[in-house]
Amino acid sequence: MKQTVRVTVNGRLYEEEVEPRQLLSYFLRETIGLTGTHIGCIIGECGACTVQVDGTLVKSCLMFAVQANGKEVTTIEGLADGDALHPVQEAFINNYGFQCGYCTPGMIMAADALLKKNPDPSEEEIREGLAGNLCMCTGYMQIVAAVKEAAGQVNNG
Amino acid sequence: MANADPKQYVGLATRSKEGPRLATGQGRYTDDFTEPGMLQAVFLRSPHAHARILGVDAQAALSRPDVFAVVTPEDMKRDTKPFRPGRYAAGLKKPVEEYAGAVDKVRYVGEPVGAVAARDRSTAEDVLESITVDYDILPANTDVHQAMAGEDASLIYEELGANLAWQGTLEYGDTEKAFREADRVVRENLKIHRYSSTPLEPLACIASFDRFSKKLTVRTNTQVPENIYDALRDALSLDDIRVIIPDIGGGFGQKIHLIRKYVVIVALLAIKSGRPVKWIEDRNEHMMAAGHACEQHFDVEAAVKNDGTVTGLRFKEIDDVGGSVSTLTIHFTNKLNNLSNTYKVQNIRADGYSVVTNRCPVIPNRGIGKPGMCYIWERIIDRVAQDLDMDPSEVRFQNLVQPEQMPYTTPNGNVYDSGDYPGLLKRALEKVDYPGLKDEQAREREKGRYLGIGVVIGVEPGGRNAARDMAIFPEMKETPGSGGINGATIKLEKNGTIALYLGSPNCGQAHETTTAQVAAGILGVSPDVISTTTPFDSDIAPWGVAAANSGNNFHLYDIGSIIGAATQLREKVLKVAGHILDAQPSDLEIADGVVTVPGFPRRKLTFAELGKVAYNNQALLPEGIDAGLQTTFYYTFPHAQPNMVPGKDGRVRAQFTFGAGAHVAVVQVDPRTGKVEVLRYLIVGDNGTIINPDVVDGQIYGSAAHGIAVALGEGFVYDDEGQLLTITLTDYGKCSTAETPAIEVEHAPSPSAFTPLGQKAAGEGAAIPSPAAIASAVENALEPFGVKVRDLPLTPERVWQLIKEAQA
Ligand code: FES
Ligand code: FES
Repeated sequence: MKQTVRVTVNGRLYEEEVEPRQLLSYFLRETIGLTGTHIGCIIGECGACTVQVDGTLVKSCLMFAVQANGKEVTTIEGLADGDALHPVQEAFINNYGFQCGYCTPGMIMAADALLKKNPDPSEEEIREGLAGNLCMCTGYMQIVAAVKEAAGQVNNG
Repeated sequence: MANADPKQYVGLATRSKEGPRLATGQGRYTDDFTEPGMLQAVFLRSPHAHARILGVDAQAALSRPDVFAVVTPEDMKRDTKPFRPGRYAAGLKKPVEEYAGAVDKVRYVGEPVGAVAARDRSTAEDVLESITVDYDILPANTDVHQAMAGEDASLIYEELGANLAWQGTLEYGDTEKAFREADRVVRENLKIHRYSSTPLEPLACIASFDRFSKKLTVRTNTQVPENIYDALRDALSLDDIRVIIPDIGGGFGQKIHLIRKYVVIVALLAIKSGRPVKWIEDRNEHMMAAGHACEQHFDVEAAVKNDGTVTGLRFKEIDDVGGSVSTLTIHFTNKLNNLSNTYKVQNIRADGYSVVTNRCPVIPNRGIGKPGMCYIWERIIDRVAQDLDMDPSEVRFQNLVQPEQMPYTTPNGNVYDSGDYPGLLKRALEKVDYPGLKDEQAREREKGRYLGIGVVIGVEPGGRNAARDMAIFPEMKETPGSGGINGATIKLEKNGTIALYLGSPNCGQAHETTTAQVAAGILGVSPDVISTTTPFDSDIAPWGVAAANSGNNFHLYDIGSIIGAATQLREKVLKVAGHILDAQPSDLEIADGVVTVPGFPRRKLTFAELGKVAYNNQALLPEGIDAGLQTTFYYTFPHAQPNMVPGKDGRVRAQFTFGAGAHVAVVQVDPRTGKVEVLRYLIVGDNGTIINPDVVDGQIYGSAAHGIAVALGEGFVYDDEGQLLTITLTDYGKCSTAETPAIEVEHAPSPSAFTPLGQKAAGEGAAIPSPAAIASAVENALEPFGVKVRDLPLTPERVWQLIKEAQA
């Protein structure tokens, strides 16, 4: 039995009929076509599917779409302001904080949430803050550098 | 020719071309695509490590209206053919038929037995439950030593008569003499476990079939188009095959070999259903059945002079290759690539034994057999140092190939293009202040704090030679090819922009950025106006045997073909422009996409003006020149001889360029818990001329981080029944930011004498010496306890046991 959900994603309201068992990650990818949210494990281990729900970091494979009813979701597609990249995105690009790019959307969403909570994190706090997001390619060095750079920008700006 | 400078943008960290796409969620991976009428497939997999399939009943599934196609073992046999043996199975004495899916038996947990295509994934998953398989469970074989002793619990391939499926020898020089004349012989037993790079994006495929033209199109995240292309041809008896490869979410070798099974079966579902079919692998499926790096056991002995010179190396290698014969010798023959590592030794003998087991088949993983070969060398050199009471770095210096010996031919026929190995090692020791570090270690030991220093060195081979495996299989019936061939296409478009088309896919190595850097200098434009077209499409890509995101091929074949194609395009641009501007092509200059006649500021043509002529204006084109401004160039390595094809002596160029790296690991071990903490990890690396330092650093960081994680605990664990206990990333021990140490990199390049820019590889690199560096550091830390490190991984539990064993 399908259920109706009303979810605001990246500022746009979506009203959709979904199966109660549909995960938020699939809702984003398949129902409304935002494929920037990736799936690497579907059991909450990898962080590839990380989004923000009402400003809180959420692994979208651990939430049903119906649980997002009435909430505001931000995905990687909603971070840039039109053509202007978000400072965290810009810092990831500048520092080559990605290789294959598969972890990147989740990593950037996590970094953004971290910097919102702690605008001036130490290296250790960055490493702790991103520990829920696995990257198989980079060894994390340039990701950490990107977050440091973004923090500087957020602070200075 | 005037002012073409292929190096103009080389060495610069230019802005990433892939970055904006990947950082905004606009990457396009296989799962992001849909096709009209597309179905979803799921696989039925074996729950048993070893069993005979007595029967499969899929009637209930087939009769459901929402099921469009089912593949069973019977279909496999009827509708497909077995794969051809290929280069790693050429040594089988009797042919073994391997189909894409299990037919009569299952040989590992997770082996695909069947598949279902339905309207959506959850339906397909529900339907799987209704398929019943009648298994006759057989004893599982999980111990290679049992097989070596001829005590097989049961035969995995009856036709082979034993689970020891292959054995062979490589011998170079005169090892017998070296050992006879040695002052001493140093021996050790070593082991590397099963692991994987676990790409974050699982295997994925969408297949569609045009039943009238008989053209099969697959969109898949393979690293090597040829493997898919050949597999589909062999298994499905089709010729017209198109392989499209979009963005790949990480490869590391995991997406080269076993992926072909799934692509074949998904294609069969598409053929049967008449619909496009998508399949996306689950994480636990990936862990069970997408392939593992090989568990390798080594008995090593070195012939040594009392001054520390190693005059001979012999090793026996036993490989647990899992439940397939298709990669039987891959980890053994890969040792030809770095068989003598950075050392002068002239006499080497390797005896290889490949044992099939009821575990996941082995596949290429970042460096394949090379981390194992480096482990053999670096562990035995440490042992030699202990035996002679020398410093381990001293023994290394004593044995390194010297810079003045370059280019240097190794006993097995590799030609090292350039390198200063003593320089790398010296610099690494300087950077960490080795004597100071040793003092600190001694002081801290007094206080009960156990620091360890591991110093190792390894070559990083690059650019594959397709003929390598003929060194052990001279009788190979179908040659796998030789050398390497791959191409690139460059087009100056009508608006003056430049489009590149590469002959191979990439999975995160910034090929778009680096090829644009190289082409820009040759063409006289900014990298900004160059775009690289993705995805890879076999219908239009100029691809050959070296079209592989594998074997560190990119720097050689892709860069070589970009240089070739860009140079030809430049020549054509100058010819057409010279004709229009009434000047000699050799007098013209190009800068910022404008062709000028020096000294005549008004005589000039922009690339956009040229583009309009080349595609629109026949009357303005010079006689005898083809219209259009597009060139395609297929690159082959011009220095591939000698030893491109192995002769009777088995000497072969396994790879064509050789970078190197000296690694220093500093660790702290807590003897109460066995926990190892990496305090410092430094690499001084020679990657030849670096095209983009940020990209190369990224490859080094990533490969080192993985090698370190492998040494410290990442890995697959099976129980005696052949059940995999590590099917999640957490159980497997994947490292996050919290566990991964910071890695320092310094570059000390020796440009290659053989490549156009002096470039060498960067990719597998740091994954090759890093497991050895950690082993060495941990052993060094635990020296006061008398601990010897032989096996990986060094989990806290294992380290704790080692201390207990040493104390007992
Ligand atoms: S897909 Fe959600 S955490 Fe891995
Ligand atoms: S960039 Fe590939 S997984 Fe992080």
